Amino acid sequence: MTSLVTARNVTKRFGDLRAVDNVSFEIEKGKIMGLFGPNGAGKTTLLKAVLGLTDCEGQLSVLGLDPFRQRKELMRNICFIADVAVLPRWIRVSQLLEFIESTHPNFSRQRAEELLSRTKVRGDAKVRELSKGMVTQLHLSIITAIDARLLVLDEPTLGLDIIFRKEFYGNLLNDYFDGERTILITTHQAEEIENLMTDIMFINDGRILLDSSMETLPDKYFELISSGEDADRARQLGPIYERDVFGKKVMTFEGVDRERLAGLGETHTPSVADLFVAKVKGAAA
Amino acid sequence: MIANQLALIRRELWEHRSIYVAPIAVAIIMSLVSLAGMVTASAFDNEVRLAILGASNMVGDAERQAALTVYFLGTSWVFLFTLAILTVFYTLDSLYAERKDKSILFWRSLPVTDAETVISKLLTAIIVLPLVAVAAIVATHLVNLVVTSIWISIKGGDAGHLVWGSVALLDNWLAALVVTFASAMWMSPFIGWFLFVSAFTKRMPLLMAFMPLILVPLIELIVLRSSYFAEAVFGRGGMMPLFRGMDMEEFFDEDHMAVKEELIRLLAHLDIAQFLTSPSLWAGVIVCGLLTTAAIYVRRYRDES
Repeated sequence: MTSLVTARNVTKRFGDLRAVDNVSFEIEKGKIMGLFGPNGAGKTTLLKAVLGLTDCEGQLSVLGLDPFRQRKELMRNICFIADVAVLPRWIRVSQLLEFIESTHPNFSRQRAEELLSRTKVRGDAKVRELSKGMVTQLHLSIITAIDARLLVLDEPTLGLDIIFRKEFYGNLLNDYFDGERTILITTHQAEEIENLMTDIMFINDGRILLDSSMETLPDKYFELISSGEDADRARQLGPIYERDVFGKKVMTFEGVDRERLAGLGETHTPSVADLFVAKVKGAAA
Repeated sequence: MIANQLALIRRELWEHRSIYVAPIAVAIIMSLVSLAGMVTASAFDNEVRLAILGASNMVGDAERQAALTVYFLGTSWVFLFTLAILTVFYTLDSLYAERKDKSILFWRSLPVTDAETVISKLLTAIIVLPLVAVAAIVATHLVNLVVTSIWISIKGGDAGHLVWGSVALLDNWLAALVVTFASAMWMSPFIGWFLFVSAFTKRMPLLMAFMPLILVPLIELIVLRSSYFAEAVFGRGGMMPLFRGMDMEEFFDEDHMAVKEELIRLLAHLDIAQFLTSPSLWAGVIVCGLLTTAAIYVRRYRDES
């Protein structure tokens, strides 16, 4: 496996604050990595460092390049949607396609127009005349028409209604992802990309709390629903987090053999959202 | 590199349509004003016929040429003034608007460097805007000459002799071209300063650009009791070295009560060699280069979040 992104002890300071604190990870080719973290956790700063938009300490290599110092070369093979609102409002769709065609060696205008013909976005429309959902369709069509090796999405569906959100991820998988390309994505709506991700990473206070493939997640983490004495016994095995649901105790365990809890209650694999809460709150406790 | 620059400059024209809309509007207004003048003058039919007769028979070629050149010069100055205002607003907006509408992250997601982007805005300000101004000057002159000739013909004058035979078109236009581009070069430190403010300021670029130009000389005067900064800044608004050899009194030959024919050539009054060898021109160009570099660094290193 070739690693597209390699971070070794990456730190980004803003004065005394360490927005990203000594972080190390790798993203391999063909993966869809979901990055989760509460607001202010350092997600966006980390993405910016990966995109070469901000300098950082430590070693960071993206597609074998130093992202900050070799940004132009990097941008030929990397795409990003940082926020749905970033397309300039004054530009016409056709002008936008023309500009990207003349500055981006890996952009296929024909492909973009083909993708756009499936939507209501017209070539002579200005971006400011489009609805938020249409702007996202436009942006995704552009990104999909760029033959890039790494796609970075930062909250790509923020502020969109459920239909556009579903469609966005559907198109992303059908039109963009082909097993060769790699995606790094952050979103608050974990459940939306839960079935899409191959890998997952949690970040809080600038540090990585979890870095795992989705396949091995059920081996490492599970939830136990229990009550009464069974719950007390389970608690002795050191759950990382415990919450109450309808009078029962739901405990999240990390790296504990499931067999040892057999008979103490019902076990299942936690959803990404629940696991996220358990890891963040558990780390804080 | 060059393909990127062309695409970037074309983008500037898409975004800032005032670059060509404003000169076209001024050209239309000026043509309408001169047309209105002729229509009004038509009310005094006899006087007009007399004037045309006088111009045809009594006024010498040199005087007619001088009169037309003065009119042409007036038109050109209006466009130079328009250019100055356009340049201020364009450069101040060029690196500010993309941050205000948050499109900067999108532009930076394309394989275009910050240097290429900022340089495209500089080139737009010192090459594209002056070119548009010169084109507007030429177009306005032509439209007005054609309209005037038609009018004179209707009134029974010989337009070919009165207008086209008397006007040194090429001389006027070359002079306009030289003066326009020389002005852009001469004022380039201000263009650099506006680009830097545009990249740097968080709000009110116009105020942020002009306040230091007024406050710094004031502070210098109060604290140091000197005025070097004021002279460097406002002195530039005065005469360019291009015009240094010019003496308006020489235009008129008092002994013969006539305009000196050889002096009507505008180009003859422009000292291009002196302009291009003037240290203060190149000092200004260097200041422009430094401020543009600063603008590139601000765009590259500032964290927009």
